[in-house]
Parts: sequence; structure tokens; C-alpha cells
Amino acid sequence: MADLTIDWDYAARVSEGKLDLDWLHSWNHEVGEEIKPSRIGLTMKDIAVGRYGDIPEEAPMRTMAPRGGEREAVMPDMGYTLNKRADVWAENVMDLYEEAVSRQWSATRDIEWSEIPDIDPDLEHALCQVCTVLSEVEMIASDFPAKWMWQINHDYVEAKMFLATQIMDESRHTEVFRKRALAKGAGLGRSRAATEEFLKLILDADNYSEGSALMHLLGEGIVLSLFRAGELLSPSPVEKKIFRLCMQDEARHVAYGTMHLRYALANDPDREGEYHEYLDKGERILAALFTIPEVVEPLMILAAGGEEEAAALGGQAADMLQMRVIEEYLQRCDRAGIDRRSRIQIPGIIGGYDPAEHGVTSEAAMAQATN
Amino acid sequence: MPEFPSGEWFDALAAQANDKADDLAEFGFSNIRLACRINGLPDGDRYFGLRVEGYDVISDGEIDPASWGADCTLEGPAQVWFEMVSNIRENGGADLSHTLNALSLPEIPLRIVSDDPMGRDLFFRYNQTLQEVFDLAAEVPTEMPVTTRPNS
Ligand SMILES: [Fe+2]
Ligand SMILES: [Fe+2]
Repeated sequence: MADLTIDWDYAARVSEGKLDLDWLHSWNHEVGEEIKPSRIGLTMKDIAVGRYGDIPEEAPMRTMAPRGGEREAVMPDMGYTLNKRADVWAENVMDLYEEAVSRQWSATRDIEWSEIPDIDPDLEHALCQVCTVLSEVEMIASDFPAKWMWQINHDYVEAKMFLATQIMDESRHTEVFRKRALAKGAGLGRSRAATEEFLKLILDADNYSEGSALMHLLGEGIVLSLFRAGELLSPSPVEKKIFRLCMQDEARHVAYGTMHLRYALANDPDREGEYHEYLDKGERILAALFTIPEVVEPLMILAAGGEEEAAALGGQAADMLQMRVIEEYLQRCDRAGIDRRSRIQIPGIIGGYDPAEHGVTSEAAMAQATN
Repeated sequence: MPEFPSGEWFDALAAQANDKADDLAEFGFSNIRLACRINGLPDGDRYFGLRVEGYDVISDGEIDPASWGADCTLEGPAQVWFEMVSNIRENGGADLSHTLNALSLPEIPLRIVSDDPMGRDLFFRYNQTLQEVFDLAAEVPTEMPVTTRPNS
């Protein structure tokens, strides 16, 4: 432990005007020339130069002291467990942080709450059920980063800062869907245990990268596709704007997850098998989610424009959405450097697919995944 | 009055966007190179390049896609592009079924393509900004092809 005794001699010298000034006269860590801000202002990337911009592969200390400055030889151990760059880094993380700060919005101010039209009660209830599921799942993407954030070594502070923006983003998503469910008086719908199994899998992940692959890449990739589909599902321009603004945020989270997995795998290719196992588990639970009425049917009703229309259309609308979701996810996996095409555990479920044939029931998938 | 599509039209759209820079800045900065591929025109498929760099919207007019280096390409039949621009002009902005995302989500009639999913995802990350920019087509005096005029 550092010496915390009061240095009375120093206090006496300062009172006589005898300053120490060693910190000033021995200043030898200039980063070089004055930094020119880029066209959007002075960014984290702009300042990442000289010894400050030198991001170590392995953090030499577990301290909050900023990179590039001077540290005492012995500093308090902050107890960080993520002390390697590959544990948390993504090549785009500085840009994503800046973008997140720049593109914040307010669920209170930026949504035209007084302009929501009265719509058919079935559509209103379907929308509120979608909002219920979203309001339930969004906050995992605050809780998961929050659980790990303090454990990230301060040398990778940009990753922490990005995760802090994500925590704010997801709070806003939870807020906006909760507000929409309640705005017209219909209220919140039904939650299912199976949904929470996926959330629990993320929260209980053994390590950050496992949870990140499950959440940023798989879970949020699917939510991103769902937000995108929100354009077609929205009964009015108000919901359309909600989905579009959430979609922008979600795309940042997915961009981080994709590039983090890429960075982690590039640094430790031997772990590919582990990631496959995590994603196998997560995909199996998600496959089960696609067979929960409270998840699937409100989307079908909104896409078709009513209960009868949804029944007549059958799985067509859901099929279309699901195929897009899966293909976009597989492409991101390719980009991350992990080929899931031959292992994907989310088959086409609605329309022409017999879940029993593949052993995909909520119970079977849950049992498999949690084993 | 610039004809749609033409390099001049995209230049005029970018100029409109830069006139409204303060409004667009409310949505934050963007960094995207979006190619617009308009298929089946009398002289074949044509590409136009639109960049958003920070808070600046820049038109590169008609482009050669091989050398322009798009992050992603929004492509589809000319008739759908005409309909989208007409819809924006009639309504002062795209209606519910004519937004960039709504038109491209099912991959018909428009689609967003990229060799790189990270490039494609930029279309989602900056979607509100891109929509606001395209909605400004409502304020660009536009010569539409005869086939798209009402009752023609
Ligand atoms: Fe979210
Ligand atoms: Fe998210």
C-alpha cells in the first residue's frame, strides 16, 4: 500500500514558498507536435499519438493512471481482470465512441408522443407486446457491459468509454419502448421465461468475450434486424422514428461486437472452438425464441396489418424477416473471422419447417443450451 | 432544373443538405460513402456517389463504381427511384412506405449491397441522417422523366 502519511515537512516548505516542482521540471513525455483536430472536432483518435497512443498488448499495471503519463513504481491494484488488449479491443472502438456521443437522442424530446394515432386495438396490443419484449431484453445490454466494465484495465479506457455509451443507449431503448407501451393506455404485455434464459446466458457468461459474442454479435445483430424491420411493422410515423433511431444505436453495438470478436480471434485463433460452443448455445436458445407466440405473433400481426391477415399470410412475413436476420448474422460472423454457416443452430422455423424434426422446442433448446 | 437522375441533381441535393447543415447536425456526424445505382435507364445502369463526411454532404455526381470505393450501394430499378423521389416531392418527405429502409428491407424493390457487412451496416448506423438528406429532394427543383408524370 502506498504511503499515506501526511508529509508535514513538505507542508511547511510549501507554506514558505518552497515548491517541489520536480513533476514540472522533469516533464519529459510530450507527445510531439500540437494536435490538429479533425473536421468534426478533437477526437479520441486524433489524440492517440506518441506514447499516449501506444496501446499495450498487455497492461503493465492495474491502475487508473492514464496511458502515456508518469506513474509511481507501485500503484494500488484496482483488481482488473481484463488486462490484455485482445480481451476488449476492437479496431473501430474509438470511432464508435465518438459516433455514439455525437448521435445521442432523447426519448422524451425527440419522439412526437402527442402524434400517435388511435389504431385498431389488436394492432395496438401487438405493438405493445413487441415493446414489452424489447423493453425486457434491451437492458441486458446495459447490465452486461456494466458487470464487466470496472474489470477492464484502464489502459483500454476507450473500450470502457464505448461501453458507457452503450449503457446509456440501452437505457434509452428500455425507456422508449416502455413509454410507447404505456403511451396510449394499453400497457405492457406478457414476458416469457424462455426470453430471460437468453439474457441469463449473457449475464452469466464465464468471460467477457463469450458474453460479448452472444450479446453484441448474436443478440444485438438480431435486434438490429428487428429494428430495421420496424420500418415495415410501424403503424405510424411515430413508431417508425423510434425504430430508426434505435436501429442506429444498435448498429454501433453490433459493429463493436463484430470487430471485437475479430480482434480477439486474430490474437488467439486457438479459441475459435470455444466461440463456436458459445454461439451454438446462444443460437439454440434464440431458435426456441422464434417459437414463442408472444415473440412471433405480434410481429406477424403488425407486418400483415391485423389478426386475420396474419393468419392468412401464415409464416410468409416472419419467414422473410427471419431469413434476412440469419443471413445478416452469418455475414457478420464471416467478417469476425468465424464461419458459422455449417454450424448455425437457427433453422428456418416458421413456414415449411418442422421444429420437432430438428429437436427444436423451447424445452429441448433450453435444456441443450443450459447443459 | 436538373433532371433525375443526373450528377447535377445529386449536386443540388447535397447543396440543399449543406444549406440545412444545422438541422442535420442535430442527428450527429456520419461517415459513409453511399453509391446509388439506378438500373434500367435508357443508357443502362448508372451510379451516383453521395458522401457524408462529418457534417458535410458531398456529391461526387456520376461515378465509376469500380474506382469510387463505396461502403455500400443502394440499388434498384429506375422506376422505383422515380417513385421514391416523386413521393418525397409530393409529401415533403418520404411517406411510411417510401423510406430508404422500408424500400430496401425485403431486398425488393431496392436493396443495399456491400462486399463487407460492416459497410452495409453503415447504412443502418446513419439511416436517419441519410433519410433526412433524401427527404430534402422535396426542395430540389426536379425534372422527372416523362414516364413518371401523373397520367402519362
Ligand atoms: Fe438496444
Ligand atoms: Fe444494443
